[in-house]
Amino acid sequence: MRLYVSCDMEGTAGICSWMQCDPSNRYEYPVYRRYMMKEVRAAIDGARSAGANDVVVNDSHWDMRNILWDELPSDVRVISGSRKPNSMTQGLQPGFGGAFFTGYHAAIGVENGVLAHTYTGDSVYNVRMNGLACSEALLNAAMCGYYGIPLLLLTGDSVVCKHINEHMPWVTTVVVKEGIGHYATDSLTPRAAQDLIREGAAQAIRDASKAEIFTFKSPVTMELEMTRIEQADFVELMPGFIRTGGRTLTFEHQDYAMVFRAFVAAYRLASAATPVA
Amino acid sequence: MNIYISCDMEGVAGVCSWEQVDARSYTPEYFIYQRHMTAEVNAAIEGARSAGATGMLVNDSHGPMRNLLLDELPADVRIMFGNRKPHSMVHGMNATYGGAFFTGYHGAIGDMNAALAHTYTPSVVYNARINGVTCSEATINAGLAGFYGVPVLLVTGDRVSVESVRSQMPWVEGVIVKESIGNYATDSISPEAAQQLIREGAARAIRNAGKAKPYVFKAPIELEIDLSRVEQADFIELIPGFMRTGARSVRFVHDDYPTVFRAFVAAFRMGAVAGNPA
Repeated sequence: MRLYVSCDMEGTAGICSWMQCDPSNRYEYPVYRRYMMKEVRAAIDGARSAGANDVVVNDSHWDMRNILWDELPSDVRVISGSRKPNSMTQGLQPGFGGAFFTGYHAAIGVENGVLAHTYTGDSVYNVRMNGLACSEALLNAAMCGYYGIPLLLLTGDSVVCKHINEHMPWVTTVVVKEGIGHYATDSLTPRAAQDLIREGAAQAIRDASKAEIFTFKSPVTMELEMTRIEQADFVELMPGFIRTGGRTLTFEHQDYAMVFRAFVAAYRLASAATPVA
Repeated sequence: MNIYISCDMEGVAGVCSWEQVDARSYTPEYFIYQRHMTAEVNAAIEGARSAGATGMLVNDSHGPMRNLLLDELPADVRIMFGNRKPHSMVHGMNATYGGAFFTGYHGAIGDMNAALAHTYTPSVVYNARINGVTCSEATINAGLAGFYGVPVLLVTGDRVSVESVRSQMPWVEGVIVKESIGNYATDSISPEAAQQLIREGAARAIRNAGKAKPYVFKAPIELEIDLSRVEQADFIELIPGFMRTGARSVRFVHDDYPTVFRAFVAAFRMGAVAGNPA
């Protein structure tokens, strides 16, 4: 089975602050970067013990250059670097037997979700697809679904794991920590988390035949609430976006991949809407 | 007759450097030319009114779009002030205007001997074409005025800018206030002489308004943008409706010109955030 791994960082065991996740941090980030990689490695090793073979890892955190090559097996493929049009789901295509999301975190606005956000913490206040409030995990799972690929494994804090199982009960989830508010955690040790992830990944592959495809029904309507009104001013400029309120917009399209890209365009354009000097 | 005035700054008499038109660096130079810019707008208003124009809307269209010295304008004009207007330099254009004036305008990006030539965002837009026509800001803005049936009546700026507009819209009254020498030098008449010429030109423009035509892009309208850098095209391609036509080129087609115009604004704004990832 070919396996797609999207690895984020905030949901790694022990992580509870942006300093640990920010690549420009010289002290804490290098430590947690290694834990992030070891969790990815654990997921790959577990999957392979249960029969997965070809693995593609898409680095999905921050500038998307967190990979430590010496922590990964030499025969995986890695998608690295920022500004991929499909971002955290770049490289998905028909042919993968399943997807793993490691180190994932809760959606913006979720209580006890450690470092909870949805793509950009400073412009996306809420995003809904066909009325469903979305986390990165849901947005990305639907991209997997678009290509006929089921989500098999998700690792992160208890809140994001519970959330994903509400929508996709077939997903094997590995809870590596409990959030205490936004910036604190009651966590397993990295080594214990890696052991659980290894076992969970093997289980996920063994249960793959029970997994279903998660999709949004076409036409897909995206409702986007921006953090600040000037961000909505900018997003409204893009063809197809309809302003529905001071800080709200909608975008509808038959094709979810187009909606996903419109979402990427929206939060990127919103980042230009800094306050006017 | 109501007149819509879009006033830019690079084409004001004497202007030949970014420092003179940079509202944000607070150089003594800027404050001098800010006054000249306002005086040229006043001259256009006076000339238009001497020939019978009445209501005036002035849309500050330069940089942060709050350059005009409001005390120096007639008390009964309407001012559009501030940045990020969805229709930018022609925001608020509608069918109630009998004509449009473009003052202080400048050449398109890539024009030779056009001081400070650029097209909206010099760091992003390498070339803009609509229906195959290479566009300056004046062309793009005239297209929006034309959509509402409003003809451009007057353009002021350097020789290249004015002649470029007149080659596309021969009915436009052009007032040449300077000859540019490359991108950063100019052989200019004095501000006072420029204001006098603009006053006379504006009056002529109103008197000849009957011969002017709206400048209209025929649907389907095809916008092609060449970008300065490939990563800007990467970002703009994400905007719904844009097609990538080359490493540094994109294309957008729509029947409705305001939609095309806003797509262009979205594109140059999106391009501006495509700097190097750190």
